[in-house]
Amino acid sequence: MRPNFFHHLHPPTIAAAQARLRHTLGAGGAAIFLVLVLAITGTLELFYYIPTPENAATSVQIITYLVPFGGLIRSLHYWSAQWLLIVSAVHLLRVVFTGAYAPPRRFNYLLGLALFVLIMLLNFSGYILRWDQGITWLLVAGSGLLRAIPWIGEAFYYTLTGGAQIGGATLLHYFALHLFGLSLAAFILMGWHAFRVRRDGGIAAPPANIRAQAERITRSELVQREVLAMLLTGSALILLSVISPAPIAAPLKEIPVTLEQSAAPWFLLWLQEMLTWGNPLVWGLGFPLLILATLALIPYIFPQPSPKEIGSWFPPSNRAAQIALGLITLLIIVLSLVAYVR
Amino acid sequence: MSDKRVWSYEARRVLASGILLLAAGFAWWWTASAPQPINLTPTMTGQAEYCLTCHKDLPEISPSHPVKAFGCVICHGGERLALNKDLAHSSMRAGANPSDLTVVEQSCGSKNCHAGAPEEHRDHIQRVQTSIQSTYAGAIANMRYTFGAQPDLRARFGVVAINDANITTKSGLPLLAGFAPEKDENPSILKFSENCLGCHLNAQPKEGLQFARFSGCAACHTPDINTFEKGQAHRLTTAIPYTQCNTCHNRGNYDLRSITFVERSDGASDRLHDYYQPIAQFTRCEYTLDCVDCHTRTEAMGDGDLHSSKKDIQYIQCKTCHGTLEKLPLTHTITEADELAFKQVLLNPVLELKVGDSVLVTEQGELLWNTRVMPDGTYQMVGKATRQVFAFRPVKGTTCKQKPEEQASQYCHECHSVER
Repeated sequence: MRPNFFHHLHPPTIAAAQARLRHTLGAGGAAIFLVLVLAITGTLELFYYIPTPENAATSVQIITYLVPFGGLIRSLHYWSAQWLLIVSAVHLLRVVFTGAYAPPRRFNYLLGLALFVLIMLLNFSGYILRWDQGITWLLVAGSGLLRAIPWIGEAFYYTLTGGAQIGGATLLHYFALHLFGLSLAAFILMGWHAFRVRRDGGIAAPPANIRAQAERITRSELVQREVLAMLLTGSALILLSVISPAPIAAPLKEIPVTLEQSAAPWFLLWLQEMLTWGNPLVWGLGFPLLILATLALIPYIFPQPSPKEIGSWFPPSNRAAQIALGLITLLIIVLSLVAYVR
Repeated sequence: MSDKRVWSYEARRVLASGILLLAAGFAWWWTASAPQPINLTPTMTGQAEYCLTCHKDLPEISPSHPVKAFGCVICHGGERLALNKDLAHSSMRAGANPSDLTVVEQSCGSKNCHAGAPEEHRDHIQRVQTSIQSTYAGAIANMRYTFGAQPDLRARFGVVAINDANITTKSGLPLLAGFAPEKDENPSILKFSENCLGCHLNAQPKEGLQFARFSGCAACHTPDINTFEKGQAHRLTTAIPYTQCNTCHNRGNYDLRSITFVERSDGASDRLHDYYQPIAQFTRCEYTLDCVDCHTRTEAMGDGDLHSSKKDIQYIQCKTCHGTLEKLPLTHTITEADELAFKQVLLNPVLELKVGDSVLVTEQGELLWNTRVMPDGTYQMVGKATRQVFAFRPVKGTTCKQKPEEQASQYCHECHSVER
């Protein structure tokens, strides 16, 4: 078979052992598929969404209840976004726990990390676009975190919210960020990330001269696996979207000044919990940035995985990096659970 | 290519595609099995609403509030586009009863509805909120006076704080503070606040079918809710039967020693026995008519002033319809200017009213539009809730020995009370 466009996105062959599902968990591929679903469903939502405070939540209701299959499209967009966060996190864990970030993939690791942050911000801004009573935490506490930055925080916050108070400009800014600023950056980084995967020789594996298993699979085989994975992931997404529709609430009429009975979305519950500890500069910004910096420095300052262990689970040579990421993951899960139960 | 596999790639692709098709088919079926949205764009709001998707079987609330003109949201609030029950109902005003006084200004109120100018007879909300039925000021003042918490019977408190910038009567008060019984530090007043504040218009009714009513306007204008299935009491009327008044009035006694409410237990079996408590004296018209046949809208809904007692506002007496030995009752010939009377007939068309008709009128000038002065000098009244026609005569020219200054009901009861 003549390779088509999709085949050419892949390296001609990759190591068979590292191409197995139990090695990759399919997370990187699933992320690309979910981004495609997000782009398509998001584009469809654009035909009906109205980014003004008066009409935003109403137009979301119209999409959800009155546009044919609008509710399904919106739920697909929602669940794809949630899953994208999860598979991105799984992808990050896999990369660290298999030592796949080792040179020459250090730079691509950073690209991936930047993508992960962008995906968080896209989720954040996507929630804001609902402009209903379910987003008060993000609007007040989440956005308000910017103000905690010394010297430039206020200016930064006012730039984001678009003036003296949260209103039409705020929504429009988030709309522009979600659709253009963040999405454009994410698409560019995603293309770059995928290009670097190919340029760096596909999925990480020990150098050819010390590789235990020489078996390789062709990109044709890889594409076949991806097609099957996409079909099954798509089916699961549709079923989940039907059974559990995306959350929706009554329109936001007044911008609350207090945060009673409002909660962060699940992926920021850990941050909400840390904010109860006091100083937002320390716990809301400093600590999360410290986590990010730790993650970014894993390929640079932590003990590197030995070449022959690259591409196998939990290599002893990079134990320190595994422990660091494991602790960070555990901390975030525990904090999220505490906030959820509270 | 993996030749070791039992299933070829093509077979697995067909299977996975089949699963995707099934999932898509399920989504299609799920979407198609949801009820078809029913659109209503009321002429008054011009904004589409979809409440009828679920509520299409609900009867129209009243002929003067046609759903095509009003829709649902203008009164009830709620999310007009949502087809999910929880979301659709999430922003409703006061649950199922938008006439509750906490939200009435947003629902029933507006200049062109029931919060307009007094001269256009559109000030219903202002009047009701200041009325003694809403403030409960008389009972509070009486209890506080009885137990030494205030030196006279002038009301100082209502169940909620309220003021009135426009006093029009002698007994009108500028303001009432919100009743805070704990400040009086008197156990009897505290007990009163616990046991006896259940029948003003802000309060939820006591438990029991005989007490079942809504709060706010619907306390009176949505009668007999105990006869409807849950959620079906969608009705507003001015034809209010005495049974509705009985959900608050005439339903038992307050024991002043224990400051508790004692439900009547006489098990009334007919109208005669139902009407008043055993020791009360009453005349025939008092148990055959409905309360609203005699008591006017001003008495029931207030005159816009805050008062200390129901005696300040209740003024209808036997003589209003029957006159005295010396004077016939006051009458009025209907002209085109009697807009309110025509409106009242329109709302409750128990009889026809036309220019030139002669009707009885109260001392304060309120037309008793359901009465007629007959050519032979007698009178007729049509029951507002029953449509029953009652004929009656003036006192003047009869053998009645009533002194002109003794017109309170107890004097009439001396001769005209009915034995049970």
